[in-house]
Amino acid sequence: MSAVIAAFGLVFDPYVLLVVVLSAVFGLFVGAIPGLTATMATALLVPVTFFMPPVAALGAIVAATTMAIFAGDIPGAMLRMPGTPASAAYVDESYAMARKGQLELNLGANLVFSVLGGLVGVVCLIAFAPLLAEAALNFSSFEYFWLACLGLSCATLISSGPKVRALVSLLIGLGVGTVGIDPVAGHPRFTFGSVDLMSGISMIPTMIGAFALSELLRSAGTPGATGALVQEKVGALFTGMAGVMRQYWRNFLRGSVVGTAIGALPGAGADIAAWVSYAMARRFSKQPEKFGTGHVEGVVESTSSNNAALGGAWIPALVFGIPGDSITAIVIGVLYMKGMNPGPTVFLQNPQFIYAVFIIFILANLLMLPLGWAAIKSAGRILRAPKPMLLPVILLFCIVGSFAITNSPYGIWVMLVFGVLGWVMEEHGIPVAPLVLGIVLGELLEQSFLTSLIKADGSLLAFFTRPIAGVLGAATLVVWGWMAWSALRPAAPATPAARP
Amino acid sequence: MRLHDKLLGLLCAGLGVLLFALTLNFPALPGQKVGPSLFPRLIGIGLVLCGLVIAWQARHRPGPWAVVSDSLRGRGAAGFAVMLGAVLLYLLSAERVGFIPAATVVVALVALWLGVRAWQAWALGVGSALVLQWFFGTLMRVPLPRGWFMQLLFGG
Repeated sequence: MSAVIAAFGLVFDPYVLLVVVLSAVFGLFVGAIPGLTATMATALLVPVTFFMPPVAALGAIVAATTMAIFAGDIPGAMLRMPGTPASAAYVDESYAMARKGQLELNLGANLVFSVLGGLVGVVCLIAFAPLLAEAALNFSSFEYFWLACLGLSCATLISSGPKVRALVSLLIGLGVGTVGIDPVAGHPRFTFGSVDLMSGISMIPTMIGAFALSELLRSAGTPGATGALVQEKVGALFTGMAGVMRQYWRNFLRGSVVGTAIGALPGAGADIAAWVSYAMARRFSKQPEKFGTGHVEGVVESTSSNNAALGGAWIPALVFGIPGDSITAIVIGVLYMKGMNPGPTVFLQNPQFIYAVFIIFILANLLMLPLGWAAIKSAGRILRAPKPMLLPVILLFCIVGSFAITNSPYGIWVMLVFGVLGWVMEEHGIPVAPLVLGIVLGELLEQSFLTSLIKADGSLLAFFTRPIAGVLGAATLVVWGWMAWSALRPAAPATPAARP
Repeated sequence: MRLHDKLLGLLCAGLGVLLFALTLNFPALPGQKVGPSLFPRLIGIGLVLCGLVIAWQARHRPGPWAVVSDSLRGRGAAGFAVMLGAVLLYLLSAERVGFIPAATVVVALVALWLGVRAWQAWALGVGSALVLQWFFGTLMRVPLPRGWFMQLLFGG
């Protein structure tokens, strides 16, 4: 109880509240600009959070991402351009509603059900994370090895496009993670005499490069003109919401639960949650023929789902240190930077920080209502923000942010290399998210693998002898079997990978 | 530039072989069957297998070894080069001239390329460089490069 009181004290500090509000505004802006993603917003925020106390840093990320995922719906409805990939699933439906004169109904539903879906995700996070953490206290290196394996395998299995390409991305990430002093013997690997490389490839510049610079490289040729808005002024947003809730409460609940579950799966984030929920809404609808013509049912389910996924993704990230999506992959880097090494012990050692994250999640979702309303009302101005003036500033921010993490040009070089690598990979249909997950989880995977092997004197059978390890191991083998089957199937030529 | 999957697969396999080869001189852990080379070797083997699968799946697929991808057509290639060049320009010049001039030029050049008017581009460059210098350099105490510019202004 004292930890909860301490958490309230930490959150309701004027400085933390100011950070949360400013980050929320930043998230709304980035999310509403097509081409700038929630992951990019997080990557750009990290260098700033580097200098903040832990709660303010986590609050900034939670607030910005919560807002960005919702704000992506605004250009989707008004321009037919999703602000973030998480809104792509229902962009045509939203735009069709706007064309039918139901823009207010659409944006109102997006706002209200994003808030409600986000809150369901948080409730699940609050309910399940401590329970799982208690169970995870008994985990040994065997369980952690299989958890990391299962997480990385699911991330590969769920990614869009051919699985073998996602596996290549993951292996490159794991390979990058081996650079530096090895965790068991202390031998420097692949450092080529460089002192900078001794401490490994810096994680945050890697993510800024892979998620932000690669996007800038892609948009530099065609920064993209903003199209004509379907409607200049937006009227009353909340009219008719009670009716929508009465009619589609099942969709809201199903979307929120499915979104949370998908978010909690390592590697799958808000975008996949929205696609799955939209498909489910259509599958179980009594009026499936209305989908695609401007029908609010699918919008309710998928917009609840993508915001619920955000809370869900924090469950494995906090409990096991295994990211639920690319945003929480960055969060794990921040947790390590702040000395809050994710894992079950963080619930014992720093419970006030965990409760503070829960409170900020609730606060951010509640803040979304007034701030989201204001963003929709001023959407015309936000959507006209000139990208040719934004992109150079974002580039400079990437440079300074990468420098700030390492205090040397090494960070900028890392960002540059991974920016180009991310661009090349996406050109070849190789998704970037598994690469980042590989870098984040590489050390945990190797350390638990080698420790377990040494404990078992080289016997692989020992990996299956403990009950939970056995179940996790069997589940991992099933996923591997599925992946092998899908990899060996004749595949269609790859299309460029979906962006994170 | 987009490589044919046969070439892409072979490159992945080559990367795996290289990774494996680089571990050959890693020392063994005394008294243990495992050492620092085991994990990178497994990754290398995985890359070789994945590369071969990609190449095998594309064995009957016609097409040239490499094509110019859509994102590099028209202004795309030049835009890519401008962004990349801007980062390199910063890396090569910032230590010498200082953060503010280097950042100003980088922002202005990219903005000019994207079609922003000259005075707006330079104003944007100066403004963003000053704001970031204040935020990161002064407020957060990040040691941004001083170069001759700051030495000229403040000495030292």
